[in-house]
Amino acid sequence: MSDASGNFDFLTKYDDRVARLARQAERYVHTDPDSCLFKLRLMVEVMARALVEMQLPHLVSGDLSTMLRGLQRSGLLQRKEADGMHAIRREGNAAVHGEVATTPVAMRRLRDAYRLGAWYCRMIRRGSKVNLPGFEPPSPPPGTDAQSQVRLRAEMLEAAIEARRTRARDALMLFADSENIDAEAARLRGELEALERVAVAAGEPVIDADLVALVMAMDVEQILEEPAWGRTAEEAKVEAEAQFNLVKMAFEEAESGYRIERAKIVDAMHVQHPPTGERDTSE
Amino acid sequence: MNEIDHDALELATTWFTAARAMTVAAGHIDPSREATAGLYGRAILGLNEETCLAAKTPEQVGTRTLLDCLASIAEMPRSMSAKLVTGIVLIAYADASMHPLEVRWTSSMASAAGLTESSFQACCVNARVIALMMVDPHEESHR
Repeated sequence: MSDASGNFDFLTKYDDRVARLARQAERYVHTDPDSCLFKLRLMVEVMARALVEMQLPHLVSGDLSTMLRGLQRSGLLQRKEADGMHAIRREGNAAVHGEVATTPVAMRRLRDAYRLGAWYCRMIRRGSKVNLPGFEPPSPPPGTDAQSQVRLRAEMLEAAIEARRTRARDALMLFADSENIDAEAARLRGELEALERVAVAAGEPVIDADLVALVMAMDVEQILEEPAWGRTAEEAKVEAEAQFNLVKMAFEEAESGYRIERAKIVDAMHVQHPPTGERDTSE
Repeated sequence: MNEIDHDALELATTWFTAARAMTVAAGHIDPSREATAGLYGRAILGLNEETCLAAKTPEQVGTRTLLDCLASIAEMPRSMSAKLVTGIVLIAYADASMHPLEVRWTSSMASAAGLTESSFQACCVNARVIALMMVDPHEESHR
């Protein structure tokens, strides 16, 4: 382990503000995980805004979540980076809103930020070769018992949270991370094109998708205005809302259990090492 | 790991194959479409986490062709196949665009499901209604 400096020095020549926020986060990771997460969230926001300004200026006044989704849709932000940025956004928001954070959470996000920092450099200066030596976890300050039982419990809890979240995410996504997505997409696309050729050969008209979309939209508008269909649509809405809420509640329940456990661990940590100083939320 | 119900696994595999085809048909894999498909599978088709994960293994979705998928849809009860058609129309709504291959795939699925014009319209209406309430699973799966 190294002291709390150096991991993010490589960022300075690309974006000094991002580098400064990352270094501040690094400094707080052991002493004030909430501030660390706050700084990392700000770092992600600054990176996202810089990319949006360059590529999607119409989104520049959006919130962080909107900017990240826009970057994802445009293909600039790939799945792995998006996951890392969303994780920092969520934990940062939670810290700002008073949810307790532990050093293991902050350390995980700091590690994500290290990887994202290198990605960001490559994005803002195309062709940049960013050779990273590997993330070195900052050393805890003297007197901190990094192997205490409470600390180990916190580590285990965060590992369990990450595993559960990854599993929930993997269940939702269409493609597994382990798949060769490009190859699978090419295979399916080839089959779709074959279906199209067969249909045309069988005498079906070549499809004008814009026209079909327009007709479909107009049909749906008319149907929704029809009293009988309106009732059906309302019923569908109520039923679908109930089903979505069930899934949402299951996610919430799992998260709430973790939050309670996290709070207990933080309390136990405070008994061992009472917190010192005020939280720094400046830049 | 709990034992996975065979019928549920078949449904999940068919759904993910159909949804992948619809996503790929747009020309690029839009994360909003991916997420919409996953959430729809969980909430509306009632697939549990374990079944969704199992369906995405190379032995399941990796070996399934689109013709297999259409054959499976043709064998399903009409109410379920209509839900699958609703789901893929919903995927098209996710980014508010429609491409020729998406139209072809939707039409192929509707034919395989044996939907009449009015039942297909019902699928479009339901998809539209659900599209308005969809949420970002990046947020929902982690908060």
